Amino acid sequence: MGSTALTVSPLTGGADELRARVRGRRVLLVFAHADCPTSALALRQLGAVEAAEPEILVVAEESPEDAARLALRARLRAPVLAQSPPYTASVELGVEAVPTAVLLDRGGIERERLVGWDRDGYERLLGVRLAGEGPDRKPGCGSRAVEPPAAGGLDEPEDMFERGFTDGLPVVPPTPERVDAMLAGRDPDDSLGTVPPAHGEATLRRVAACAVLAGCRPEYFPVVTAAVGAVLEPGFNAHGIGVTTQPAGVVAIVNGPARERLGLNSGMGALGPGSRANLTIGRALRLVLTLTGGAQPGRLDRSTLGSPLKIGLCLAEAEERSPWEPLHVERALAEGQSAVTVLAADAPLSVSDHRSRTPEELADVIAQAAAATWSPYWWPMDDETLIVVCPEHADTFAGHGWSKERVRTAIFEAACRPAGELRRGETTELVRAAADDVPVHKWTDPGRILLMVAGGDAGRYSAVFGPCDGMGTAAITREISWTT
Amino acid sequence: MDYVSPFDDRVRETHVLAPRPAALDGRRVALLDITKARGDEFLDRVEELLRKRGARTFRIAKETFSRPASTEVIEEIAIHGDLTVEGLAD
Repeated sequence: MGSTALTVSPLTGGADELRARVRGRRVLLVFAHADCPTSALALRQLGAVEAAEPEILVVAEESPEDAARLALRARLRAPVLAQSPPYTASVELGVEAVPTAVLLDRGGIERERLVGWDRDGYERLLGVRLAGEGPDRKPGCGSRAVEPPAAGGLDEPEDMFERGFTDGLPVVPPTPERVDAMLAGRDPDDSLGTVPPAHGEATLRRVAACAVLAGCRPEYFPVVTAAVGAVLEPGFNAHGIGVTTQPAGVVAIVNGPARERLGLNSGMGALGPGSRANLTIGRALRLVLTLTGGAQPGRLDRSTLGSPLKIGLCLAEAEERSPWEPLHVERALAEGQSAVTVLAADAPLSVSDHRSRTPEELADVIAQAAAATWSPYWWPMDDETLIVVCPEHADTFAGHGWSKERVRTAIFEAACRPAGELRRGETTELVRAAADDVPVHKWTDPGRILLMVAGGDAGRYSAVFGPCDGMGTAAITREISWTT
Repeated sequence: MDYVSPFDDRVRETHVLAPRPAALDGRRVALLDITKARGDEFLDRVEELLRKRGARTFRIAKETFSRPASTEVIEEIAIHGDLTVEGLAD
């Protein structure tokens, strides 16, 4: 493939300036714009041409930035002139449709013109064979000189990828109107703080842009801002979580009336997919970290494998189905308050257990699953583990009168082994220094285990989210404020 | 078409790298341990090799590998060192 650099220059004047630029050369001017599929077809064909006589000069009815994108999409090697409104050159040369090819001789006199896509015509004028893609003839579209640009344009989804406004999935374009709707009167210049690792300022404007990109409805925005505020607290260590080689995802857990208000799913399939609110809130939070904060995978985010959890995950607790106090109440908020708790975590490990009939047995099963997380011989872990207890498992515990605290303690006690069995592979300083028979727990203390209830009524599958251990990160809970 | 950018596009202050010294003789080299497992073993060996080449070395450590170095650590290196070797990952 040729390595000629893309050259885009603005064309400020009309036909005279255009003629002055090419005087003394035979040139095929090709008028095009980005909203026209026929222009795209023609430019892709011309992009494959190594060199031609007459020379090809593309006149894009676009800003220089959009003209460059158009040329990149077509892998164009020919130089490009970017023509801004009122498209004087198009008007003066009578270009009413794109693509239009105008052959100028050395004196600047028009010798021939092609309107629309015409493979034979281009081959004849350029004296080359064009690659076989697409139709031989295709009508063009209105020139911008006669039809003003359509809002958004035909290539909007591609445009978002080209701008890097994405996590790799298609996004909703953050138009000023959509961002304004997301802000709902909030001051766009208010800042939630700077987002590590690149220290981008999380103005509400940028956070709202991320929420739009993620597909949030405006009513979700208070949850997104609360979650962003939470990850920016020093105790969360967004820097470490953003750049680590670990597969560190961020989970946002919503409690309180916000769940019903926004239609967050805490029941069947609570970990997704299927619920817009859950998926887009989690995604918006991650987009703030990657786009505004600069934790882009493969760049400042050095995660070895990454994780599907890094796309984002928002969970809601099934408080009405839980026998216990909700997570946010344990964390010092009132039951009627809405709250979001953020936690850095590894992807969930499902724990199937349809046989345990005693709470002791069930706690042991969950504990042994958790014992394998982070690294099987790395004991104790000092960051937090999230255990999502399904309703049927919660019933088994509650049916025997077990409190949340008792469940936590039982899981902690069940994940305990003598140091002599743990001296393999990646193990801790504590294990290396301990005598063989010294008991070591999987966690430094029971408080490192966060418990919540979610999931469908049928099926005995709980889930363990292992920690991003050693990162010195802590779960952070913030109240969700609905006032603007 | 105008869109609202999620990026912080402000132009950042850029810093020019300090000139590379031609030789290590007599230079003060900070050996920064970020406290990752076995980083000390790596720096022990680097220190041995640097001293053979006439460099003067001193050791300094971050409180934790998972956060940026504190201002105190950065100042310590800037004041007492001409060069830095950082033992990065494990």
